Parts: sequence; structure tokens; C-alpha cells
Amino acid sequence: MGTTEKIREIAAGLLRDGKVDVVIGYGPGTLPLRSTPLFARTVEEAERLIWDATCGNNLAVYLPGRKDRVGIVVKGCDSRAVVQLIHENQIAREQVFVIGVPCAGIIDRRQVEAAVEREIRAAREEGAELVVEGDGWSRRFNREEVLYGACRTCRHNNPVLYDALAGEPLPPRDGGPTLVEIWEKKPAGERRDFILSEMARCIRCYACRNACPMCYCTECFVDSSTPRWLGRATDAGENLFFQIGRVLHLAGRCVACGACSRACPMDIKLGLLLGKMNKDVLELFGHEAGLNPEEPPALNAFRPDDPETFLLGK
Amino acid sequence: MIIRKERVNDFLNGLRAGYRLYAPVQTQAGPVFAPVNGATGWSWPAGNTLKSAKEVFLPQTETLFTYRTSLDGVQVEEARVEGRVVLLGVRPCDARSLTMLDKVFAGEGVRDPYYTARRENTVVLGLACNEPCGTCFCTSLGGSPFGTAGCDLLWVDLGDRYLVRVLTDRGKALVEGRPEFAPAGDADLAAARELEEGALGRMGTVPVQGVKEKLDRLFADPLWDRVYEKCLGCGTCTYLCPTCHCFDLTDEVIDGLGVRLRTWDACMYPLFTLHASGHNPRPTQKERFRQRIMHKFKYFVDNFRETACVGCGRCIRYCPVNIDIRAVLAEISAG
Amino acid sequence: MKNPYLPLPMRIEKITVETEDRSLRTFSLSFLNRADAEAFGFVPGQFAEVHVFGQGEAPFGIASSPLVRDRVEFTVNRIPGGVVTTALHNAREGDIVGLRGPLGNGYPVQEFEGKDVVIIGGGFAFTTLRSLTWYILANRERFGKLTVLYGAREPGLLLYKDELAAWQKRDDLELILTVDRGREGWQGKVGVVPAILKEAAPSAANAYAVVCGPPIMIRFTLPVLQELGFPPERVIMSLEMRMKCGLGMCGRCNIGHKYVCKDGPVFTLAELSELPAEY
Repeated sequence: MGTTEKIREIAAGLLRDGKVDVVIGYGPGTLPLRSTPLFARTVEEAERLIWDATCGNNLAVYLPGRKDRVGIVVKGCDSRAVVQLIHENQIAREQVFVIGVPCAGIIDRRQVEAAVEREIRAAREEGAELVVEGDGWSRRFNREEVLYGACRTCRHNNPVLYDALAGEPLPPRDGGPTLVEIWEKKPAGERRDFILSEMARCIRCYACRNACPMCYCTECFVDSSTPRWLGRATDAGENLFFQIGRVLHLAGRCVACGACSRACPMDIKLGLLLGKMNKDVLELFGHEAGLNPEEPPALNAFRPDDPETFLLGK
Repeated sequence: MIIRKERVNDFLNGLRAGYRLYAPVQTQAGPVFAPVNGATGWSWPAGNTLKSAKEVFLPQTETLFTYRTSLDGVQVEEARVEGRVVLLGVRPCDARSLTMLDKVFAGEGVRDPYYTARRENTVVLGLACNEPCGTCFCTSLGGSPFGTAGCDLLWVDLGDRYLVRVLTDRGKALVEGRPEFAPAGDADLAAARELEEGALGRMGTVPVQGVKEKLDRLFADPLWDRVYEKCLGCGTCTYLCPTCHCFDLTDEVIDGLGVRLRTWDACMYPLFTLHASGHNPRPTQKERFRQRIMHKFKYFVDNFRETACVGCGRCIRYCPVNIDIRAVLAEISAG
Repeated sequence: MKNPYLPLPMRIEKITVETEDRSLRTFSLSFLNRADAEAFGFVPGQFAEVHVFGQGEAPFGIASSPLVRDRVEFTVNRIPGGVVTTALHNAREGDIVGLRGPLGNGYPVQEFEGKDVVIIGGGFAFTTLRSLTWYILANRERFGKLTVLYGAREPGLLLYKDELAAWQKRDDLELILTVDRGREGWQGKVGVVPAILKEAAPSAANAYAVVCGPPIMIRFTLPVLQELGFPPERVIMSLEMRMKCGLGMCGRCNIGHKYVCKDGPVFTLAELSELPAEY
């Protein structure tokens, strides 16, 4: 049985038995290389659920504040968001039935689009290959080579929390140096210029924030009017302040799912900033968000032996 | 008229004496309109630009005026919109959207002086779509890949040359007497016609017939519960949309100088309508999503007898959760 | 082209603390430029954007009489978290502010002519009703019977107390004051506005009712007006919405195909019933 069929079976069972009110999973998208979140409330609707390498959205974004009982389809990274949200009391464990999916990586559609330089009219997976087609042409890719960079080096490709697993666990990846490891070795000036040029593109649509399961604040600091932390002007400085604020607020909480990067219409490499922060938190405090429901987020806990290398004079 | 592709550079260089040029400039994420010097550093876009042409007329961030206060009063300095602009490579959907923005900012009644000045100073050089994208649906909404609304000139790419349709006096002034242009022959016109028919044949259709009448009675319909549910409430669709035009006005103070700023805003955000008292007339994403659809397909029609959507497909392409307005319209049609 | 975004420079001539809880103050503004004063005219019910430089603008209904030409008054409620209202409450007499207006449609005073007018106000929403009352009093012969019913939670929260006292003595209007909770010495009525309206039972024949107040008061007042026989076309209301441009462009105050800033803020109940209840 394929993963799609397995998800449908689990979801239909949950809905039939009245164990949940809704199953949030993926349905077919309206564009090639896209899927779309699907809210299934009936057994019939559950039949439209799918799983493939386009299921990039982190559906945990729909969990905070829910009052109903919910089944949710999660990848490894998404499951970490569920753990973190439970930890932060945004949803109760008993409210959620977690349908875990071992994930072989999500296709970076922008990378594929850039490679073909033409409009893609259709796409499908064939074994380890991705086939994309346009008007009178088709091209095959090794699927592994068109995954998101973060997926290629993902160490948490199996869900860390699940009530049912739709598929066999995958072996962990040993993908070599991560994009962050490569990037942080670049000279400071080069990194600064890169960040500023990325930030100059930002249109402050807040797709990154709104796609992030951990960005659930009732009032985001960017929206606060008293005090007003940052201006409404869209320039590299204000934009950078927004992103720095967001990154710092996610310290010890970011589950590295890449939802922010994928949501960004301007293709800003937010994953690098967050990835760097995640790496620092891991190195400083030995903590990764959303892996252990028992362990408090790094910045919520104090240990006398916490490193203080960021303090002056230390 | 006809201009051979190798003469375009001469034509543009000739324009630089009297105009600033804006054209689609490639960025990491896609092409956006930006100032250019002549024919280099940019290219006619394949497909459409990532951000629409509206930002040339209604920039995302704009200073309306600056001021300094003293005990005796306030010295206000109005920002001036200066210089003539030629905007190159505007697709017909974006050009047509300008005629809709005109109704809001430069119509009957009070006019927006900044927008109006930019419109008056800018020559819109349209570029017909020989190959519409899969997300395009302009023909369902009264537009066309070869549409001329909002264009001063429409250029049609005939391979080694462009056919140039002169549509306004402003467009005429740009090309009249210029040595780069030659009269078009029957073969040129026939080639353009063939491309136009080909483009029209590729267009998908979206059932928008009767959507307005449906929306007249669907305000309280449960369909909104379904269609909004996956919406994240970001502003991508509205910011990339060529007809969305909501904005915010705020004050900034920089080294004692007051700056009155206009910035894009969007009905998708809760703060857009939140009263200082805490009351919000559109309290959840459902009402906000409905507002966006209603405004484009009903309210704007009520006010201006025209749908405020040109079918450019940007919101479909860039929505982070693949909310497809064509599917929403189909659902309304069936509702 | 006149730039509709530029503020007129104004000086705060006088600040009056209106209520015992000090949450409401009336700001009397004078024009710095004589030409602005001469050009400025408005209809009761219109509003203006008051600009506190460096903080921003907020819309307020004009509270003064249109016949007073050299001053424009606004009564401002201090809202916790409200940037401009807080800044105004911190302002001092002599400070310079900006003004954009008048904006909006105002009350249909020409239609009121020859008719009875029943003005019903609650709490701090009495501001434009004060303007309207003064307007009618100044053109008294053009209107029929004038009834003003004004309620507040308690006597100390009534606005414009001196003027109310003066109006009490006049015989060309009937002023009914009411409070939810009276106190020693209170001479007016005790009871909520809808109940007092029912008791007063003004004639609906050849009359308009103008209603401004908190949502709860409006909700219970409208059925009483209906009972009294006021048709929805003759019940006049004024909406409050978040606004920015005041010109029908920025999109914030859009309700259905109307813009409160441009098509309102004054609507008849009949007009409102045609719009979605997104206000």
C-alpha cells in the first residue's frame, strides 16, 4: 500500500469512528509541483488526500488555538512543530491524532523552474525521477538533486511523534555539510552583503511569519503600535530588523521545516538565517526544538553552566 | 509601425534624453520593474513580472510630505513627482489594471495627486503576450493577451522585429518621426494576427459569468467557511495583485524631520480594520478573505461596473498554500 | 490640484476636561492661517483627521457648531493603546497640530427642514449631535420641534455640562437628560436611553431621528424608534470605522460598496440595512 492510500485509510477510519472532527492533510494542487492543504471532514473528503514530494506546507500552522479534535498529516519536521506547540500549550496532546509520514524530501519547485527556464505544464514522480513537461518538451530530473537544500541534509526525516505511521521509517540521511555550514564559513562582509541584498527584496507580506507554526503571537511585534518597534517603510534596514526580530523570537523554537522560505514570494533565503540560529542554539545549549516533549525550549531554561560567550568580557 | 530588434537599442537611447526608463529587471525571485539605462540590464519578460506594474504608480513605500514643527507652526514640504517616464514591457493585464486604479485614484471627485502625476508623466509601452501562461485568465474577465487598454503603445514580438501599435497621442509622440521605425506591411499585420489567434487559443477559461449576481446574495453563505480555511492571512496575493490598492498612512520622525509615509496595506491583515477600542468589524480570516473576493467581484462592480481582477494569475502562482482564485470563482459560480 | 493629504496648521487654543474620569477632553483648535479659516466650512456630522505631528492622524467628528467660524472643536476619548488619542491627551494649550477636512457627508440637515428632529445620544458619541443641536438652534425657524435625549452612565460622564444647563433653560428645545445611575442632586431622568425614549414617545409624524451612541444603546434604541413609527429612511445614524485617508482610497473603511469616510459616516437605517453588517 502506498503512503497516499495509507493516509486515506487512517484518515477515513478516524472520521468514520468519530475520533476526530477533521483531518488536515494534503490534497492535489492546481499547479504542477504544488499540493494544497486539505481539510477533510468526511470519509469521502478523506479520499482526496494525497502524499507526494510536493507536500511542503507545514500543516501544524493550523493547530494553535483549535478547539476541535484534529488528525494531522506530518513529516519529520512538521512533527517537531506539533511537539513544540504541545509544549507551548497551543494545542493539547489528546486533541491531536498525529499521522506521521516518513519523508524522502520535498521538491524545490523554484529550482526546477529555473533549470527548465520554461513554463512547466505538468509534473510527476517516476521512481527516483521527477518528470516535468511543457508545451512540446519534457525533462527528467534525479529527484534527489532537486530537493530543497535543507531536505537533502535533513536529520529528522522520520516523525518524532505520531499515533500512526503511514509508511516504513526511512534511514536517517548523512547528507554532508549543511547549507548553513557552508555559508557561515564565508567572510563576514560577504555574508552581510548577501543578507542585505536578500532583505532588500522583502515586501513585508508576512507570508514567512504566517506560514510558520511557531509564529502564533496574537500581536506580532511588527504590528505593535504602542510601542512601535519598527516602521512601515519597506527598505533593507526595516526588513532586516523584522527578520532579525523574528529569528531571535524563534531561538530554540524553530523546527527547521523551511515553511518560511517556501512561502516567501520573493525567494528570500530565510532558512539560512534561521539555520544559523538553530546551529548556534544547538552548539551553545545542546538543544533542538521539538524533539523531546519533556525538555523545555533552550531559552526557557536556565542552567548555571550555560555558556555565556555572547556576553562582553567572557 | 515596425521596429527591427537591432534598432530597439537606438530607440531607447534616444528616449533617455527626455525620459527615465523603467523595465523588467531580473532578480533572484523573478523580474520586477526598476529604473534602467537603455537596453542593457533587463529583458522583455517571459511570462509576467513577479510584482505588477502598479508599484511604478503606487510605490510600496512613498513619502507624501515632510515637515518640521516649531512653536509657531509647521513647515510642510510636499513631495514632488517629477520627470517623464517610459515604462517598458508591461503586459496587457497590468496595463489594463491601471485603468481600474485610475477610477480609484484619478477618477471623479478627489484625486490622489501623487498617483495622478505619475500616470500623467508615464508612457506605458505594452508588450503583447504571444505565449500566455497556464495561470493566465484575462480573457475570462474582458481582457486579452493582445489587449490595448491602459497602453500608449502595444508592441508585438514578431521574432526579428516588433509590430508597434500606436494607441494614444502620448504613445505617438514617443515614436513619431523616429528613424528606427518603418511602416508596417500586410505581412507584419498578418503575422501579428496569427500570433494573437494562437495566444487566444491557449487561454484557459474561468466561469466568471454571473459571479457578481451570485455574490449579491452569497455574503452569508457557508461556502466562505470552506474556501478561506487554508488561508494563512499573509499579504502575498494582495501585494502582488495589480489592482489591490489599499494603503496605510503613518508618521516617522528621522532626526527631527517628520515624514508622512504611504505604504501598501492589505485587507487580509487583522490590523487593517481593528479599532483602537479592540472591536474588529472583520474579526477572522473568513471575513477578510471574503472581503478580498467581494471587493474585486462585487463591490468594485457596484461602484464602477467593472471587475477589479485582470486575470494575471499572480495570486494563483505565489499563494503559499495554493489557494487558486479560479477554483474559488468556480465554487461561487456553482453556489 | 489641491493636495488632499496636506494638513492645515492649527493651534490648540483651549483644552476642556469634560468628564469626571478625565477620559474625555474637548480640544478647541484655531487656524494658523486666516485663509484656511475663511475657506473652512462644514455640515454637522462631518469629521476631520487630526494630525499629531510625529504620531499620526485619527478621525474625529467635528463637535463645534458650523456657525462658529474661527474655531473647530473635537471631543476626544482617551483610548488605552490609541496612539493619537493618547498624544492628544498629553498635548498642551498652544501646541500645533494638523487638520484635514472636513471629510464625509454630514447629517442631511436640508432634509430636516420643516420637520421635527429627535436627537438621541449616548455617552461620548454626543459630539456631532452637539454640533447638530447648535446648528438647528441657530436656524431655529427652519425646523419643527427639537427634542434632544442624551444619556450617560452617570452625571459626571455627561459632556458639555455648561451648555446642557443653558439648553435646559431654553424653550425652543426639549432636552431630556438621563443617567443609568443617579446621585444626590441629579434632576434628570434615571434609566437607559431606550427606556426613556419610549417614555418620552416623541411623535414620528413628519420627524427625523438622529441616533449616536454605543452599540448596545443603538441596538435597543432602534426597535423603540420602529415602535414609535419612525421609518428606516428617517432614522439617521453615524458609523465609526478605522480610517486613514478619508478620501475613499485606502480601503480601510470599506463596507460593502460604500466607504464610510466618503459615502458616510452618516447613513440612514434604510441604507445600512442594505450593507453587510461589517461595522
